Formats: sequence, structure tokens, C-alpha cells
Amino acid sequence: MSSEADPVGVPNHADLRDGAADHSASLAVEGLVAGYGEVIALDGVSVSAGAGAITAVLGANGAGKTTLLRAVSGMIKPRRGRVLLGGTDMAGRSPEQVVRAGIAHVPEGQGVIPELTVDENLRIGMMSRRAGKADRAAALDEAYGRFPPLAVRRRKLASTLSGGERQMLVIARALLARPRVLLLDEPSLGLAPRVMAQVMDLVVRLSREHGLTIVLVEQNARSALSIADHGVVLNLGRIVASADAKTLAADVALRHHYLGF
Amino acid sequence: MPVVEFLQFTLGGIVFGMVYAAIALSLVLIWRGTRLVNFAQGGMAMFTTYVAIEVIYKTHSYWSGFVIALAAGLVLGAACELSVVRPTLNKPPLNAVIVTIGLLTVLEGLAGIFFGGQYRSFPPAFSITGLRVGGTPLGVSRFDVFVAAAVLVASLVLAVMFRFTSAGLRMRAAAFNATIARLSGIRVARVLTVGWALAGLFGALAGVLVSPSTFLYPNSMDAIFVYGFTAAVLGGLDSALGAVVGGLILGLALSYSGGYVGGSVGADLTSLVALAILVLVLMIRPDGLFAGSRMRRV
Repeated sequence: MSSEADPVGVPNHADLRDGAADHSASLAVEGLVAGYGEVIALDGVSVSAGAGAITAVLGANGAGKTTLLRAVSGMIKPRRGRVLLGGTDMAGRSPEQVVRAGIAHVPEGQGVIPELTVDENLRIGMMSRRAGKADRAAALDEAYGRFPPLAVRRRKLASTLSGGERQMLVIARALLARPRVLLLDEPSLGLAPRVMAQVMDLVVRLSREHGLTIVLVEQNARSALSIADHGVVLNLGRIVASADAKTLAADVALRHHYLGF
Repeated sequence: MPVVEFLQFTLGGIVFGMVYAAIALSLVLIWRGTRLVNFAQGGMAMFTTYVAIEVIYKTHSYWSGFVIALAAGLVLGAACELSVVRPTLNKPPLNAVIVTIGLLTVLEGLAGIFFGGQYRSFPPAFSITGLRVGGTPLGVSRFDVFVAAAVLVASLVLAVMFRFTSAGLRMRAAAFNATIARLSGIRVARVLTVGWALAGLFGALAGVLVSPSTFLYPNSMDAIFVYGFTAAVLGGLDSALGAVVGGLILGLALSYSGGYVGGSVGADLTSLVALAILVLVLMIRPDGLFAGSRMRRV
């Protein structure tokens, strides 16, 4: 564990600014129904994530947050409903197609492949792109410039990274796909508070400076709402609240009921 | 002379060990991608060896038969994956196992129908008269050297491909974590097909290399498959290096036991020794000597 070094890294403003807002796209989910076998995990969910904004998806365990991201990225096929990326319906496409269309999904937990090196983990992020050798090298250099702690360990196995560095690695890998929409599932899970704050800070920068549309799934409602523009609350597969993040954070009854703070 | 004898058994063991290693590698290639032991691997190798022998008879060229057998291995591997294995992938694992056993039966049946059931001799690429160093027989021939070298070169090419190419990285990523691979845009289904094709190629190589010493008939690769399987389990099923080392260990063990016990008992002993090694490995070290996945199980 590198405790004194900044484990999440300070993004370089110049790197982040290239191709800002004009590349971003809105993501809208309409009447989505999805589940596993007999279980309906999402029951007619509609969410709209504005272009270049951070949308927090909140709720208790089993509310359907992760299923929502999985249905958007194609890991499970929705039974009904639409997934609109800037107006194009993506519902039913495979994950390989969805990431090529510009939606990158960073799943919860074990997002790094520990048997591969840091460099190899990052190169996987470019598999969806048609790019020449020089372009790939430049994109890798840019990622290392943005996350210096990864550059130091590029030849090391990803299993040697700390929790914060792993989160950095999976976000860096998702960015290498040049997404317009980034789906983040519990990026702060299991991280120390200080590292968690740095991850949240990174998410804000990606949205503000890179123009990325971000859908942030979090159990930690308080910190998610503190950085989000908009928030939705899921309960047992349905949307029970959808409002400005500040409004949600100020709604005492809702907080007690669904968010536990 | 005991020293000469030992040398002969060792060299002979290495040669056969490399054949087992080729089969083991083909099993590892499929296991890593699909977590499936392909019981049809020997049958596929037998079939492509028949293709080779037919081409050799028609063209009178060993090398065109050799190359076409390898190409047929690639095609047969991919075809088997796409046609009968793919539909079982989201089903219980036993389904896929049964399918590969069925595939073996079909291939052996088809070989009997197309090529006949009689034993056929398969030509070697080079002379099979034993090499000598200053009058001392080494127990191996020029062809045996070719056998070991061919598998070694193929394994090295595979290792380099896995380590240093984009296609190799895709295969490793898909094997370690298919979900992450798919989310990153890797077409995992295609990667699996490539894995089966490469497995078919290594099986075809083993078939062409071993058949001059075993004769060719529809069941001729069954025993070789069992030895290759033992070698793969010895190496942990997950590790390409483990497959090669497992093949060599098994080849030497069988060569020593067969050689030193001698006579018909020694020959009968080889399959028993292989079985004993298989049972021992599964009892004492079920992850094999080169288990690569332990890290993830923590």
C-alpha cells in the first residue's frame, strides 16, 4: 500500500480537456424490465442521464441498481423497454457492441484482471477501437500521464496494486475505450475514506472537464449526492424518487426511508 | 551398459513426452477458454491424420500431407466449436462434456466408414534408423528429433503469440475474466473459436507425429489422448508451460518404467503407470504442478 503517495492521482487538465462536451451524449432508459429467471429485478424503470452530467443511482441492496447498469451495457438482455444513447436504441445489443457505441461499464469489485500486468489490463481497454500502433501508444501514454502511480507499476501484475490503484486502473481502462457515457458501479466500495474522496474527485473531473456523461451507482448515498447533478432512488426494481441531487439530499423523509442517512 | 541404456530411455521419453505435451497443450487451450475437457481431442487428431495419409498417398508428398493435416486441424477445431459446443455453453457443464464424448464417437465412426477400420502404417518425415554417436546407439532416430523439435517450435510460437500479440492478450483476458473482456469490447465467442482451432492444430500435429510409431486406425489416438490428458492434469490444465513439462515428466516416467521392467510386462505397465500418476496427482495436488488460478481463489 502506498500510503503517502497520492493513490488516485491528479488528472492533468490539459489531457482531460481535449474533445470535451461535444463528444458527450445523453443516456435515457425507458420502461426497462429486466431480471434473472423468475425474478424481476427492474420493473419498468425510466431514467434520464443528461449529457455531460453526473446521475447518481441510489438505493438499498437488491434495489436493482447493478441490474440497471448490466441491462444498459448488454450483460443481460432487457425483456422490455429501450436504452437510448443519444437517440439510438441499444437494448438487446451485446456488451461488445455497446462499448463500441460509446458506453463503458466499470463493474463492481474485481474489475482488474490480477493475472495480467497493469499495461496489459490497460491495453484491453483499447480492444474495442480501430486504432493504429502510434495511436494506441499515444493513448496509453496519455493514460499513464493522467495516472502516474500506474506508470510506475506498468510492468507489474495488477494483483500487486492497492485498492485505490485498482479502481484507478479500471477507470483508466474504461476511458481508453473513448466512451461518451461511463457507468460506474460502486467505485468507492472497500476503499479507505481518503482514497474514496479522491475517486469521487476524479469522477467530478471526468464530468466537468471531459464532458463525460456519468451514471454513478452508489450505496454511499451521501457522498454520491454530494458530487451528482441529478439523483434517482430505486426500491425493489422501481424508481421511487428522481430529482435534483440537492433536493434529494435535503429530503429528510426520503433519506431516512431509502438512503439510510 | 547402464549409462547408454539410461540415455536411450531418457531420449525416447523426451520424444514421446513432446507428443503428449502437444495433446496436453490442445486440452489446455480449450480448458482455459471454456473450462471444458475436450474428450474428442484424440478423435479429432486421428481424423486429421487420416486426412494427411490420404493426401500423402495422392500427392506422394509427405509435406503437403503434413501441412494439410495442420490446416484441417484448425478447420475441424473451429467447426466443432461452432457446431456442437457453442450451443452447450450456457447449459450445465456436464452437457458440454457429454457432447465432446459424443463427438469422439461420431468422429471414430465416420473414420471407420470413410477410411476403414484396418491398421494402416503412416510414413515418417525422416529416417527412423537409430542415430549413433561414435558407435553408441542413442535409441532415437532422425525422425524422433524432428518430432521433439516440431512440438518445441510450435509451443514456442504459441507462447510468443500469447505473450506478445494483441490476439494473445485477447485470449488471455477472455480466459481469465470473460465478463471484463466482453465489457472491454473483446468478442469472447470469437476468441473461443480461435482457441478450439489452435487446439485442433496441436492435436493434428500430435497425430501426424505419433502415428508412424503406433499405426493409424480409428481408435489409434485413444491411448495417446489418455497420456496427453494425464500430462495436462499434471501441469494443472491451466498452464501451457505446465502442459509441456507435464508431457515430458510423463514421457520419461513411461519410458523408464517400460524400459527397465522390460519384456511384455514393461509394455503393459505403461498405461498402469500413467493411471497411477493421474490418480496420485489428483489426490495429492489436484491443481497440478503449475496451478495458475490459485491467486484468484484467495
